[in-house]
Formats: sequence, structure tokens, C-alpha cells
Amino acid sequence: MSELKEQLKAQIIEQLNLENLTPADIKNDMPLFGEELGLDSIDALEFIVLLEQNYGLKITNPSEGKDIFFSVDSLAAFIEKNKA
Amino acid sequence: MDTNLKNVYLSYGALVTPLGNTVEENFAALQEGKSGIKKYTNSGFTNENWPLAKIEQISENRFDTLLRASFIELNQKVPRTIINSSNTLVIISTTKANIDVFPNDTFESGIEILKNELGVVNEPIIVSNACISGVVAINLAADYIRSEKFKDVIVIGIDVISDFVVYGFQSLYAISEQAAKPFDKERTGITLGEGVAIVLLSSEKRNSEFSVKYLNGSSSNDANHISGPSRTGEGLVRSIQKTLVRSHINKDQIDFISAHGTGTIYNDEMESIAFDRLTLNSKPINSLKGYFGHTLGAAGVIETIVCLLSMEHNLIFKSLGYSSIGTSKILNLITDTSQTQVNIVLKTASGFGGGNASLILIKD
Amino acid sequence: MKVVVTCSIFPNKIVVNGKQLLSIPSNEADWKKWVYSSLNIEYPKFHKMDSLAKLAFLGISVLEQEIDFSTYKDEEVGLIFANKSSSYSSDNKHFINYTQKKMVSPSDFVYTLPNILTGEIAIFKKWYGENVFFIHKQFDIEFFIEQVEFLFNKGIKACLCGWIESNDKSEQASLFLIENVDGVLLKEEILKELIINKID
Repeated sequence: MSELKEQLKAQIIEQLNLENLTPADIKNDMPLFGEELGLDSIDALEFIVLLEQNYGLKITNPSEGKDIFFSVDSLAAFIEKNKA
Repeated sequence: MDTNLKNVYLSYGALVTPLGNTVEENFAALQEGKSGIKKYTNSGFTNENWPLAKIEQISENRFDTLLRASFIELNQKVPRTIINSSNTLVIISTTKANIDVFPNDTFESGIEILKNELGVVNEPIIVSNACISGVVAINLAADYIRSEKFKDVIVIGIDVISDFVVYGFQSLYAISEQAAKPFDKERTGITLGEGVAIVLLSSEKRNSEFSVKYLNGSSSNDANHISGPSRTGEGLVRSIQKTLVRSHINKDQIDFISAHGTGTIYNDEMESIAFDRLTLNSKPINSLKGYFGHTLGAAGVIETIVCLLSMEHNLIFKSLGYSSIGTSKILNLITDTSQTQVNIVLKTASGFGGGNASLILIKD
Repeated sequence: MKVVVTCSIFPNKIVVNGKQLLSIPSNEADWKKWVYSSLNIEYPKFHKMDSLAKLAFLGISVLEQEIDFSTYKDEEVGLIFANKSSSYSSDNKHFINYTQKKMVSPSDFVYTLPNILTGEIAIFKKWYGENVFFIHKQFDIEFFIEQVEFLFNKGIKACLCGWIESNDKSEQASLFLIENVDGVLLKEEILKELIINKID
């Protein structure tokens, strides 16, 4: 699980072009759409692309994403749960 | 500031949309409340059947074919002596032009066709400012007339449906599964459309029976987000305010508002907030996206032509797809196409890049 | 009409008012990022921008070090921008995404409009003024001055103009600020030379 979380952080930085950050800057329970990272609505849609590209997981309605993309913890939990 | 502005007159040039190949055909379809939107099998990136407002007679080379199609009516409505005059400028309003030929220069073919096939004398100017392009282009045309650099300016708004654009809007989750329902409670997004609209701006009256004057216009940026509409409607409010001041018009004098109204949750909400802040809520208002879809760079010009029709016939068209208000601020959406005196019209547009633009027309 | 400042950014140098301000090492893999770092600005959004918007952002950031924009109110600066290739670099990215990578990225798509760069400047500066973007065959100083005149006739105080290009062959950002005050405009050839500095 912790390996998955580290991998996710690197993927988030890559997919969202957060070049100013390192994986260490993103804490597991930190709200991704809080003040710290400055993410916006387009970034939320990029999370959908990230999940589909890297994990083959499809989210059809962006509103489902709200809870899933809350933090690295919640993302990892979603991936674990839906793994084939 | 120049308070004694020279007259600028507008007249019809051409209108080719899924609803018809001429201004008159489109007018008839609008009166009947027809929509140009239909579902197309496998039009989506993963084979969704998106509704589109597509011109079905065109099978390939959509941009060039559509541009050429507009010349038939243009030649009937605008004399050759104007089209081919050195005192005439052409302004093209488009977001992606001939994106079909990408990676080649997508903006080149249109210019070549205008010069070689229509015989346009001066190098055409291209405005590419996302969804506000059409209104910006008309505002610019008036600037050219008022500066006396040209006697006539032909504004061509044109964009076509492409996988490029459809897949892009799909990735933004911005496409509606049903035909767009601007300002409605059930709205879920846009419907993409295509079309070409041509309007002529002139220093003299070019149509003796019916005449509309351009008063003024402006643009204003939201300074907020590159794709998300402002939560406060700031840019749109500022643009309308500037346009009113420049036009020497009191907002109470406005008879009708031709809004942008794309059908997305956030855009329509933003517009309702802006109109509410300006206390324009009670003005009859519509969005034409339920008829033509969102035609991007063509939208502002198509909708301005429909404003001219409303003024000529004192007829305001129902906001197709709308049945009950779905924005936090109440607007007076037109639910039945009806006769009313239309002397002064406000046309607005908003788009990606945070752009907002507006203009005001008055019956002469 | 008075030209207040000019600035041109190329992959090898930054030129301000005709004088070289900075030389960019040729071995930099990402020269725009190098310029960003060397300007000491903190604006993380920069990394998310496409090349066109990055060039525009670097341009306004260089100009900010030269002049004080705070003398203008938030509606007083008009943005007049143009280029030849529209949003070619981002168009290509989006095109490759859906034709080869079999995916579509919303953030890549959003940048497939050239006027997004004026939006980025407006957001960065909190400017609510007039914006327009043109596609033109080549840089034409007379055309820009014509557009500036139109806005000055409407009472706009200053216009930030720019020619920003990003395609397979070249990258360039040339910006200049013209104020609505009395002054003799430089001869067009001199102005052109100042703005579109040739790459050595």
C-alpha cells in the first residue's frame, strides 16, 4: 500500500505538471484540493485520466471523483478496492 | 473619449447552418422552433453517440466546403462592387479554422479561398479568441469603419465539427447527452455545432428597407481561470457596463438580450449572476444554442444575425431546450416565440481564456 | 503614443529595449524553465502552462522587472496579441494524444486556443481589460499600432502587445507596452528592430 502511495504521488506530479513539488511534499492524508497544492477543476479531470491510464479504472461521472480524489490515502484505497 | 461616433450599419451577408443555407431558411426554421441537433453514432472518443448540430450535406473538407457554401448567398446579398472593393476589409472569426488538415497551417486555406475565389482585395484579418471571437470581430469591424480606414467590413464567423474539438470537450465532461438546454434546471452541458455566418458592417446604409446601427462594444477578461467561468460574473459585468457607457445607453432601454448560454452548469450560472448584478433579470433573454449548438467562433456572428432578424420582424425567439430556471438567479427566459417591439439589443459572449464580450445594436 | 518598454525572449537570450539582458545556456534541456528559475518568481502555475502561455508569462515577468505596472488600474491595460501558428504546439500534443496515445487530456485540450495566453496574463496580473488575439502571417508593427489606436480611442490607458510563437521551428515572445500619452512613436523600422530582434 505504501509503495502504491509513493507511486501515486510521482504520477500526480507528472500528470498534473506539479514540477515545483517532490513526492515528499504530498502527505498521504493531505486534502489534494486544499490550499497547499492549488489544484483546480481541470486537475480533478486529469485524475480521471491518471486512473484510467495507469490503473485501467474508469470513472464515468466526475462527481464520483470528489471522494476518491480527496487524498492520496483515498486514491490508494479506491485503487486497492477495484483492482482486478 | 470620442463621444460623437460615426454611424455603422449592419446588414445580412449569409447564414449556413444545419437549419438552412440562407438567412431566410434559418429564419423560417427558427420560427418553427426547429433544432439542428441530432444524435450521431460513434461521434465520441470512446464511441459515444453525442448529439451534434452538423451540416449533413458536407462530407469532407468541412471548413473549406462550408466557407465556399456561404459565398452563394453572400453574392446575392452583398454586391460585387463591395466584396471586391479596396475599401472593403474581411475579418474572419474562428477558433480552429481548418483543423481537418492539421498539422498543416489550418488558417491558410480560408485566406486563400477568400482571395482567389471570392476576389477579396485586402489581406483578411483573423480573430481567434475562443468563443467570444464573433463578438470581438464585429466590434473590431466597427472600429475599422469608424477610423475611416474602410467603408465596409465583411465579418465571417466560421467553425466546423471535428474529432479534435469533440474529443476535447468530451475530456472536459462538457458535452450533454441530450441536446443542450441552456439555463434549464436539467442542463448538463453543451452540444457542439458548426456553421458560417456573414454580416456586413458599413459606413453607409446598404439596405434601404430595414436598417440597424451598431452602437458600441467591448471585451473584458475574468482574470480568474483559463477554462472555468468566473463565480462572480466579473468579466461579463464589466464588459456590459463598458458597452453601455460607450453606447450612451441606459440599461433600461434594452429590449432584449441575446445571451451566450452554452448549457454547462457553470457558464449559465455565471451569466445569471452577471445579469442579476446588473439588474437585467427582467429583460427578455434567450440562448440560441438549442437551435444551432455551440458553434464556437461562428456563434457570435450567427447570433448577431438572429438579433437582426429579431429587430427586423419584432420577433423574439424562444430559448429552445429551456423549460424551468436552473440558475441561482432568476432570468426572464423567452419560452414562446413572440412579437414584441425590439429596438435595442444587447448581445453577449463568454469563453475560454476568461474572455467576455458584448455589443449593442439599435434599430435605425 | 509612446513605447514604454520592449522585450524579446528567444531560446538563447532575453533582450530588453534592444539590449541583451540575459544569455541562456544552449545546453539547457528546458530553457523556459531555466529562465523561470533565473527570474526568481514564485508562480507554480507556470509549470502547468503550455509553451505559448509560458512564453507569455516569462515576457510579462521580465517586463515587470523593468517597469511598475501598479500605476495602472485593473481595467486600464489592453492586451493585443498575435502569432502565425496559433496554438500549434498544444494542438499537436492533443492530436497525438487522441490519435496515438489513445487518450485525451483535458488540460492539454484547454491550451488548444491561442488566446489562453492572454487569459494567463490577465489572471497573473488581475487585469480585467480588453483582450484580443489575431492569427497573422507575420509580425506587422503597423497592424499592432492600428489596434492600439482603436483601444486608445475608447479611453484605454496602455496596451500590452505581443507576438508569441511556438511551433516546430521556433519559439519567441516579443512584447511591448504602449502608453496613451503624448510622445513621438519611434520610426517603424527601429521599433520593429527593437521588438523582433533577430536571433544571433
